[in-house]
Amino acid sequence: MAYIEFHNVKKSFGKNEVLKGITLEVEKGELVTLLGPSGCGKSTLLRCLSGLEEVTEGQIILDGKDITGVEPRKRNIGMVFQHYSLFPNMTVEQNVAFGLKLKKEPVEQIRESVRGILDTVGLAAQAGQYPSQLSGGQQQRAALARALVTRPKVLLLDEPLSAIDALLRHNLQVEIRRIQKELGITAIFVTHDQDEAMVMSDTIHLMYQGRMEQSGTPTQMYTHPATRFAASFIGHYNVLSRKEMETVFGVKTESEMTAFRPEVVSMKGREERGEAPKDAGNCCAAGIVTSGLSHGNILRYTVRCGSVQVDVDALFRSDRIWKEGQEVWLTLAERDCISL
Amino acid sequence: MKKKKIVCLAALLPFLLLAVMYELLPLAMVVVDSFRNDVTGKGSLGYYRIVFTKLLYTKAITNSIRISLISALIGIVIAFFGAKAAQEQKGKLGTVFATVMNMVSNFAGIPLAFAYMILLGNAGVMVQFGKAFGISALADFNLYSRNGMSLIYVSFQIPLATLLLMPAFDGVRKEWKEAATMLGAKESVFWRKVGIPVLMPGILSTFSVLFANALAAYATAYALMMNSLSLLPIQIAGCYVGEVKIQKGLGGALSVVMMAIMVLMILLTNALARPFQKGARR
Amino acid sequence: MKEKGRKQNGSAAVLILILIYLLIPLAACIVYSLFADWTGIIPRGFTLEAYRSISMSEAFWQALLETVLLCAAPIAVTILVVLLAIYAVVVYFPGLEKYAQIICMIPYTIQGVILSVSILSLYVGSKSFLSNRLLMLVGAYCVIILPYIYQGIRNSCRAIDMTTLLEAAEMLGSSRLYAFFRVVVPNLMHGIIVSSLLAVGIIFGDYVLVRNLSGSTVTNIQIYLYQAMKSDSMKSSAVFVMIMLVTFLIAALVMAGQSRERKK
Repeated sequence: MAYIEFHNVKKSFGKNEVLKGITLEVEKGELVTLLGPSGCGKSTLLRCLSGLEEVTEGQIILDGKDITGVEPRKRNIGMVFQHYSLFPNMTVEQNVAFGLKLKKEPVEQIRESVRGILDTVGLAAQAGQYPSQLSGGQQQRAALARALVTRPKVLLLDEPLSAIDALLRHNLQVEIRRIQKELGITAIFVTHDQDEAMVMSDTIHLMYQGRMEQSGTPTQMYTHPATRFAASFIGHYNVLSRKEMETVFGVKTESEMTAFRPEVVSMKGREERGEAPKDAGNCCAAGIVTSGLSHGNILRYTVRCGSVQVDVDALFRSDRIWKEGQEVWLTLAERDCISL
Repeated sequence: MKKKKIVCLAALLPFLLLAVMYELLPLAMVVVDSFRNDVTGKGSLGYYRIVFTKLLYTKAITNSIRISLISALIGIVIAFFGAKAAQEQKGKLGTVFATVMNMVSNFAGIPLAFAYMILLGNAGVMVQFGKAFGISALADFNLYSRNGMSLIYVSFQIPLATLLLMPAFDGVRKEWKEAATMLGAKESVFWRKVGIPVLMPGILSTFSVLFANALAAYATAYALMMNSLSLLPIQIAGCYVGEVKIQKGLGGALSVVMMAIMVLMILLTNALARPFQKGARR
Repeated sequence: MKEKGRKQNGSAAVLILILIYLLIPLAACIVYSLFADWTGIIPRGFTLEAYRSISMSEAFWQALLETVLLCAAPIAVTILVVLLAIYAVVVYFPGLEKYAQIICMIPYTIQGVILSVSILSLYVGSKSFLSNRLLMLVGAYCVIILPYIYQGIRNSCRAIDMTTLLEAAEMLGSSRLYAFFRVVVPNLMHGIIVSSLLAVGIIFGDYVLVRNLSGSTVTNIQIYLYQAMKSDSMKSSAVFVMIMLVTFLIAALVMAGQSRERKK
């Protein structure tokens, strides 16, 4: 029996069915990510677990107890919101102590717990400050401390880093992961950013249009997407149909769809009437570079091969930069191709 | 969650109670009363017949509309130039002006009427001044007339109108004026072609607020004229207060007429504003 | 730049003219209250007698006290009623917002006269406690300040994310109503104070409602001025100056509050 279980959970807002029967298990001590584009239902699923939304159908079990109809405040679940939602009229310390005071814990013990958790999140020096005096990152740490101090059974994080700028976001990703492991708490993290999901999670659950699309470890998800959507959302896979594979790369495939990641394609200059650099186990296609954009240490090219566009990633090396309009050979190892 | 709904209903209850008991129900009853005979309780349009035929009441209606229109018009014109000048005058004077407008805007009714009596009443300071220097415009000024009333009304319309218009002037972007200048438009052309059309919805809605404000003003008129000038609010209050028997029907009919005039003015200004709102962001 | 300078002077002249128009009557009253004789051009006989006389007058202090009490009760009631209503609307009945808005804007349009006579006519003949004149007056005051209180509080609600704050508190184990008063209301305090001050200004300046509803049981400061006006114009000038000072003080506090709000 898993720590958290969703059994065929459905949720509708009016006629709009947002969750179409989700079944999911989360093990104790795991950090699990719900990943998906906006509107896929990931936040709604989280809010159903928190109790802030009532499920329309189905059952949610936490630590062996059915909590489907329990009021949110009695579920003992911690939650961190997208925009921190610290209480602006209270200091960091008062914010963190809020939940403990409601539990009527003794004052001395509250003070100690608050100090401890503020140390853990690295905010001990800011205890007396108001949320408006803190930076975005500090506010999110305070919100994290507030959610953790009551020792909840599970910690929910609803896109907690989306309002924070890129550099700081990476630090906080590492930080949240460290704290989660340190406290050994079970956590569910919602994000639309696949890189964030890859960095943080033990398990990723990919959602699409109210359904569970695929679940697995970050590596599994990256190397073995199970569906066309998973392939395009997680690894920026190129997805070609059987007919396209045949006309462009000249190979007959068994499956309907073939997916390959941009970085497994290699590019070579195509001199006038040059031969295709074909070896065993490889296939080749002729194309024209239509654009090249730099993403930091990677250059992403778009190459047009007949009617098909193929994305190709190459390391940014100054001696090998392709220009728009240059004719190239694309080489692809067959073992890097995934059948969908 | 049934419980949550019950708690929320309970929280809403005091508001509903207050609104129904002291706002909606009384107003509804005034309307009902106006359509039925006080004594017999039968449906009747008799009170409206009285309102529209008896000289006292037709005079009240025309006087009220006239003073409201005049004071609202003068008020809005002065406030337009005032708000425009305040916009251009960003320094200390602008701040002083805005501050005084804020303070004076709360100042109406009995104290305002009293101040004007001291100034321009029969033995008023300015009247004495006029007599001493032979300025007949001041010496012969009669505060207790329609013109005198309008003067006082204007002085409580100006601050209100200015405060309502000043934010609208902030909406006229400096860049628009600069763009117009670059295209060769003179200041006056800019205001005629761009400034005033953009401000028009704000001006019209302010106008309808001023009109309603003057129409419903009671204390100023009462302090100044007692009952010597027939005005709608004075006649309405007269039907209920100070009489031996309350005249519900007549008072109701007068109230309904007054509310109808307000609503008509709101509809009219809305209709006039519509052509100007085409380009407005929604 | 000559043209620009001329324009500046022109707008300054407009502002000064308007200020003169509005301030002369007030200035005249102040001077009038300080001089025993102002029948000629120059006022003569400086004296503080008028102020001494009203400060000794029990009736004046009584009127002031009644006015203050008449401010306190309706404002407290209305704030509580509006807060509860906003809670209910935000948490459970978002669809009702526009009706609440309409109910709150009606008094702004129809104003005092019709409101007072309609309440009077409905309840004066009642055999129950509803015919109590003080109760009618307090009810009417609550309604007449409703637009200002509602708008003020609603505007400060927009500055905070009320729904999420309530949810956050709920996740920490608090009930919603407790969270509303413990977490949301303190953050609305500023709006509550500013709109209460506006309401004080309105009730302080009220004559119509008191006259029409209270019969002669209540003498607020405006009624006091009206009565004084008929007998002694110097003394009433002094009363006038007092009312003016209080009104201006309230306005100044409101403005200070609003500019702080804007800075935040």
